[in-house]
Amino acid sequence: MNKLYLGGIIFTALMLVFTYISVGGSKGGLNGDIVNMLAVAGAVALVIITVFVVVKYVRQMQTDTAEGELADESWDNIGEYKNPVPMGWAIMFLGTMIWGMWYFIAGYPVNAYSQIGEYNEDTAAHNAKFEAQYASITGDKLVAMGESVFLAECKVCHGLAADGIDGKAANLNVRLEANTVKYVIENGSNNMLLGTEMPMPDRNGLFNANTGELITDAEIDTVSQYVANGMQGEGAEIFAGVCASCHGMDGKGMEYVAPNIATFDTALVTNVLNHGKKGVIGAMPAFDRLNAKQKEAVSAYITSLSAQ
Amino acid sequence: MFHWLEKNPFFFAVGVFVVIAFAGLIEIVPNFAQASRPVIGTAPYSTLELAGRHVYIKNSCNACHSQLIRPFKSETDRYGHYSLSGEYAYDRPFLWGSKRTGPDLHRVGNYRTTDWHENHMKDPAAVVPGSIMPAYKWMFTNKADINTAYAEQLTVAQYFSVPYNKPVPMKDGSTKTVKMGASVAEANALALEQAKEIAADMKDQDVKDAVAAGEIPEIVALIAYMNSLK
Repeated sequence: MNKLYLGGIIFTALMLVFTYISVGGSKGGLNGDIVNMLAVAGAVALVIITVFVVVKYVRQMQTDTAEGELADESWDNIGEYKNPVPMGWAIMFLGTMIWGMWYFIAGYPVNAYSQIGEYNEDTAAHNAKFEAQYASITGDKLVAMGESVFLAECKVCHGLAADGIDGKAANLNVRLEANTVKYVIENGSNNMLLGTEMPMPDRNGLFNANTGELITDAEIDTVSQYVANGMQGEGAEIFAGVCASCHGMDGKGMEYVAPNIATFDTALVTNVLNHGKKGVIGAMPAFDRLNAKQKEAVSAYITSLSAQ
Repeated sequence: MFHWLEKNPFFFAVGVFVVIAFAGLIEIVPNFAQASRPVIGTAPYSTLELAGRHVYIKNSCNACHSQLIRPFKSETDRYGHYSLSGEYAYDRPFLWGSKRTGPDLHRVGNYRTTDWHENHMKDPAAVVPGSIMPAYKWMFTNKADINTAYAEQLTVAQYFSVPYNKPVPMKDGSTKTVKMGASVAEANALALEQAKEIAADMKDQDVKDAVAAGEIPEIVALIAYMNSLK
């Protein structure tokens, strides 16, 4: 045994002691964690292999002599032995060529990174998770989801309390306010509330079946109060004469004819979210980027506000 | 020749540069040219919108608001489709911004309205509780600079071939023609025409009166610009 081997063994031992101390000294030690254990095993292997390899080659440099048949060519007096290509190197070389062809033809084109591709995968994964987790929720959970969507998307205009912030947007705690009803009667409406074009005429197209005349200013005021009051109080007979033929006696609307003006419902809210609307307060943009379940949830939340 | 190059390292380096630069050119330039072409649905700014853009720049809105939606689910949920490079074809300079103290505005026209902007610019905290955005009350009295906007229109139409007075394709298959006046007076008239449409949806009586009297407050131009961001 010469000095080189001895030095190698001492150095290995020192490195292992150092590894032991640094692991033991770190917070919690190995902590039974598989990753920590693997890291330490790797460190130990690295120390041993490095020392072994270095010692081997230093030893070879000390003792090796050149041998073999010299090639004829000489480049500035630097010659070359005619040794066969080492088998390990040859295998690596051929392997690299094969891998290179695969990577050029299939590897890169098929697996290349694309930011949009990652986005599409993310979106698909998210939608699948959403579908699995929320597709069938109902009741309180649906209302809770609706509230969270409302707080994210709707509160900037309708306010935290859904009161419309002093008339800056519709007050959603009631189905309709008197000024809205009045505006619609006077100006008509075409807001795709049924999902299709179904315009309501303005006051020049609204006859009171009881009197046989066009609706009057006084009647407009009375019936606006009646609708805004939740279909209660004075004005029931005007409503029956003017509005009920389309909106129904109870104001809950008729399919393909007129929307529900007594209460909020899913179809109504979904159509407003899909198409936006324009009225006495101003315009509401469409929020069709919400998914179907989210729209249903918002409907449930808004319906719950006025149901209390 | 290769032997000669090997003996002359300087010219060898020049040769290497030429080869790599040429490869780079044919790889990068066609893609770049394709991506920077306006996408379908992107129209040039009208005179009033351009004046609003100048108001936006003048008040450094881009210091707090970005105009670039990244392709992450969390962003597209909030702001809409991620931004495409061709959508900035008529932005000179682009206003991507580098920090979001406030929200992104690249598609704000899709989900905010004229009257909302009016309320918000007057008193942000009244609309968005806890907002730290300052009020921009002077925009309701300052007058928008239509002449400069028209000068920019003339310049970009002449030097960058921005298609004013020409039909550009829209997403629904129709075409849209953004008009540019033939004279300063005509440009002002066109801007006022659009300003009247905006003012009709606004509540502030002073602004309405100003527009009716033929003047255009900055807020009207800014809202026109905001509404054009889709």
